[in-house]
Amino acid sequence: MMPMDRRRFLKVTAITGTTAALAGCGNPENQIVRFIPEEELVPGIAVWKPSVCPLCAAGCGVIARVMDGDAEVFRKGKPGVTRMALVRKLEGDPAHPLSKGRLCVRGQAGVQVTYHPDRLVAPQRRTGDRGTGQFTEISWDEALSLLVERLDAAVAAGPAQVAFLSRPRPGRRHELVTEFLRRLGAPAPITFEIFDDAVLRRANELSFGRHQLPTLDLAHTRYLVSFGADLLGTWNSPLAHSVAYGAMRHRPGGVRAKFVQVEPRVSQTGASADEWLAVRPGTEGALALGLAHVILKAGLRPAAAAGRAGLLVDGWQSGLPAFTPEAAERETGVPAARIERLAREFATYGPAVAVIGGASLAQTNGLAQALAVNALNALVGSIGTEGGVSFMPQVALPVAQPRVLPEALASAAPQVLLLDDANPMFSAPPAWKVAEWLRQVPFIASFGSFIDETSVLADLILPDHSFLESWVDSAPESGAASFVATVAPPTMRPLYDTRALPDVLLDAGRRLKQPLTPAMPWQTFEEMLQTAATAEAAPNATAAARAAAPPAPTAWRAPVLDGSVGEYPFHFLPLASQALLDGSLAHLPWLQELPDPLTTAMWSTWVEINARTAEQLGIADGDIVEVTSTAGSLRAPVVISPGIGPDAVAMPVGQGHDTFTRYASGRGANPLAILAPVAEPETGQLAWAATRVKVAKVAEADGSLILFAGATRERPDHTKGRG
Amino acid sequence: MAHRWGMVVDLDACTGCEACVTACHAENNIPTAGATEAARGRAMHWLRVERYWEGDFPDVKVKFKPVMCQHCDNAPCEAVCPTYASHQTDEGLNAQVYNRCIGTRYCANACSYNVRFFNFFNPQWEKPLQLQLNPDVSVREVGVMEKCTFCVQRIKAGKTTAKADDRELKDGDIQPACAQSCPTGAIIFGDLNDHESRAARLTHSPRGTKLLEDEGTEPKVTYLQRQSWNEPDTQ
Amino acid sequence: MRKNRSGSVGFAVAACLAVTATGCADWGVRSEQVQAARVAQPSRWGTSSVFSPANRSLGEGVRSHFGIRDEPQQPFPFSHQIHLAKELVCTDCHEGVERGPRAGLPSINTCMVCHSQIATDRPLIQQLTAMQEQGLDLAWQRVYNFTREAHVRFEHAPHIKAGTQCSTCHGNQAEQTVAVRAVDMDMAFCVNCHKQKQASNDCLTCHY
Repeated sequence: MMPMDRRRFLKVTAITGTTAALAGCGNPENQIVRFIPEEELVPGIAVWKPSVCPLCAAGCGVIARVMDGDAEVFRKGKPGVTRMALVRKLEGDPAHPLSKGRLCVRGQAGVQVTYHPDRLVAPQRRTGDRGTGQFTEISWDEALSLLVERLDAAVAAGPAQVAFLSRPRPGRRHELVTEFLRRLGAPAPITFEIFDDAVLRRANELSFGRHQLPTLDLAHTRYLVSFGADLLGTWNSPLAHSVAYGAMRHRPGGVRAKFVQVEPRVSQTGASADEWLAVRPGTEGALALGLAHVILKAGLRPAAAAGRAGLLVDGWQSGLPAFTPEAAERETGVPAARIERLAREFATYGPAVAVIGGASLAQTNGLAQALAVNALNALVGSIGTEGGVSFMPQVALPVAQPRVLPEALASAAPQVLLLDDANPMFSAPPAWKVAEWLRQVPFIASFGSFIDETSVLADLILPDHSFLESWVDSAPESGAASFVATVAPPTMRPLYDTRALPDVLLDAGRRLKQPLTPAMPWQTFEEMLQTAATAEAAPNATAAARAAAPPAPTAWRAPVLDGSVGEYPFHFLPLASQALLDGSLAHLPWLQELPDPLTTAMWSTWVEINARTAEQLGIADGDIVEVTSTAGSLRAPVVISPGIGPDAVAMPVGQGHDTFTRYASGRGANPLAILAPVAEPETGQLAWAATRVKVAKVAEADGSLILFAGATRERPDHTKGRG
Repeated sequence: MAHRWGMVVDLDACTGCEACVTACHAENNIPTAGATEAARGRAMHWLRVERYWEGDFPDVKVKFKPVMCQHCDNAPCEAVCPTYASHQTDEGLNAQVYNRCIGTRYCANACSYNVRFFNFFNPQWEKPLQLQLNPDVSVREVGVMEKCTFCVQRIKAGKTTAKADDRELKDGDIQPACAQSCPTGAIIFGDLNDHESRAARLTHSPRGTKLLEDEGTEPKVTYLQRQSWNEPDTQ
Repeated sequence: MRKNRSGSVGFAVAACLAVTATGCADWGVRSEQVQAARVAQPSRWGTSSVFSPANRSLGEGVRSHFGIRDEPQQPFPFSHQIHLAKELVCTDCHEGVERGPRAGLPSINTCMVCHSQIATDRPLIQQLTAMQEQGLDLAWQRVYNFTREAHVRFEHAPHIKAGTQCSTCHGNQAEQTVAVRAVDMDMAFCVNCHKQKQASNDCLTCHY
């Protein structure tokens, strides 16, 4: 603090070059040293630079508004201030086929990643016990030496001794990592993201020969049925589909499209539906087959129209006798008459398209659910047609399929684990014993920009640039009809002593005792991206897939849930929250403060409960309940919601971090921690919506539930509690 | 003819995603209140998405409504401000002049829409989050009221650019942050005096209503009601 | 408070305090404590770890309110007079003025564009050269400025476009060495010119 009662004069000294400071009680910030700017900047003028948002897997193109500003930095180990180009805001890139100039709420918050106060600024080496978070800063030279030393030892010990764990993000960066591992003689990377739709990809591979997420042509569709897919909020490519939805609603010519959402709980997407149907969790596929049954029975379409996709559904050829409207009603809870009406509408008002995703597929019958909806789509001719489902052309990248976490945990015992921003300690169920697996890995190196529950276990930290400071690329797998590959240079210089992960790997690769075989052909990631830009797009090979005989048809069965109904009466529905997704964005303050669209809750976890259920349990809004499954229990406040049925409770995922920067640490509860390890049998994917729980009140409202809004009803009915 | 800035919100297209909310924060240097202050109702979302339920499970409907300063022609906030900090400009904007504001908070009291926010404390940005701040927008200090300005900095920039390029402003030249970010294009901004502009035309839509119209505030934001699907007549 | 009520009021207050004290949830509190602890520490650059428009002291607040600013002390005895005599124009160093809101203060690189060749024997130029070699820049202090609380968003470009001379607001730099506040730029100064030129005097023209 500056003493205010005297003026300080510092004159320019001689050639030692200390900067003069100001007189009087000027801003003490200006007294620190000023460094020469490293770039030419016109003051006050914004330039726009393209980049790619990495906050979810969609890969939308953005533009960054870059203006000059004074930033505090270190140069040659000394603190000071310099004028540099700084990103102030992100917008959608108008030229990008996914974002089309628009940007979702998470993308808007992306700029806070670069300027986050808890970002890792330099390489670090663990000093305390593993997991205590005690690190000391080291130089890049030392960090690289440590890394190379460990890699050398691991390679010498055998081929499977190096593992790489990241999020599934297709693109050149993933290709480089995969190549690095392959040439090291190590297995393909392991990828993990709790809400990744591996089950849907597998179903699409079986039905249509495309191991890929679908793109819906909403702009031209006339009838959309979504079976639990939060396609306008958090699922698949939400920005691109929202842009298309806007086109659907603004379509000139007056033909209104109908949007039907079918799910056990009103989602943010479901809120926009023209017709919303409640369905028993895990029975969406039965409803789809019920619709198909009606269409077939009424002769609106022949069974053969569904082609291969139909053959994969047991009973399709004989008209799905097990799925009469009455049978479907018994299974799903949707009235038979409604099923009949919807089926007729779906077959009449084309182009029609159906989609399934989210909790509907996170069941033991997830694959069968997806196959049912695929067959329904094929039946009405929506595959590859305008207003229907398509698969975005992809580059046939010569990379190995990433391994999934449960498989990898079972088979891998590496000496060295390289960790790129995946957080299974938070989002994998404890029953998978990720903590135990990580504990016995002798050496963990983390490239992420933040300390979270997983990276706190690292022995070495090699912090990556933030995405705005990096060469970035994306190869989106859905969201547009045409092939899209995006490559963008850094929008600003690095603020800190960080290095791009791909460049660190390339550098390490050059220093290994036993060189990579063959050597990597690029010196830097930038070089790789320049060469990759000329690679041609090749469609996925579908001909071979189609020619092969289809496997035996799958029968739809009711889902198997963990926990007996008697003891655990409620179906537990974790959901990706609009603000925090799977918890990986909980560190961004704008997203913590964002009121949840349906409950307006901020900085909070909550449990959504039906009003009648709450009354029976004696629970009022804000009361604390204990939610218990066979796998564990948690405590959180309640929000009584008209959007969920009496047999289920829902919780947003995102809070409950133990360690994840000042904004998320020690806040709320993590529903993923009480998930039972139920798996979809064919893909081995976690069926994260297949847990049953019991709920009991444990305390009165204590202020931990923070809501932004007041009324829940436009015209308050004072006899119905809050509103 | 002088401009008259107004807005149309198409509730049929609004999906409640709240991209507009965070876009506004990023553009306008809105401080983050933090959990404790947010619990006291002091989160400052200049633009919020209201959510109303209708009916009971399973026959429920949800309505989303993005609400921002309505820049009323007959603004209750303007009538009560003792220092002319809240006044209407000749382009129809309700101006909030921070350096005139003495913090009586009477304007927030009078506002029918609850869109005015008071700085009870000096905002803080933990470094280096402040590097994100928009230099074209003020950083407000303790004791002043703030609210949606229809991104007045973008309006000025649009006018300056048009003048520099020696041309007239076109419809779509000026987009507030919310309208620019909205994925479905539910927020439409424009010059209501330009009868060719999208905003002016949509203001006269039969689906158009205003919020709390009977209060007589004459808001300049028109909300287009959600439509429903009716089975077409078939032969 | 009536006498017979004070007891129950006191009890109610105590009860409220008790409830709030015991009723606080575990979560949320830890985050706030972590946050408060971090704010109290200096930043990694040795400066305050938060940025805030707060005035650091009552004195600073008072001075800011009355618009009292000390004369800026420049780190280097730069002479406008000399450079203008050499036929440099304002925009040679203050580049942004025709294009955007700010004129800008040049970095040492701008000086060295010429001074890597010109007057290299002078001791001041040698100091400058040494600073550049060490990667240091000159920390120029703004001469013309408004207090943050005035919330003035002045834009140079429209004024240049309208034909305003730099000297109108900044004084005749040909008579100045280090720039000094030759013009008392209070609001009346701006408003008078706006009135004359028939530019808008609505508050929102400059204060937003």
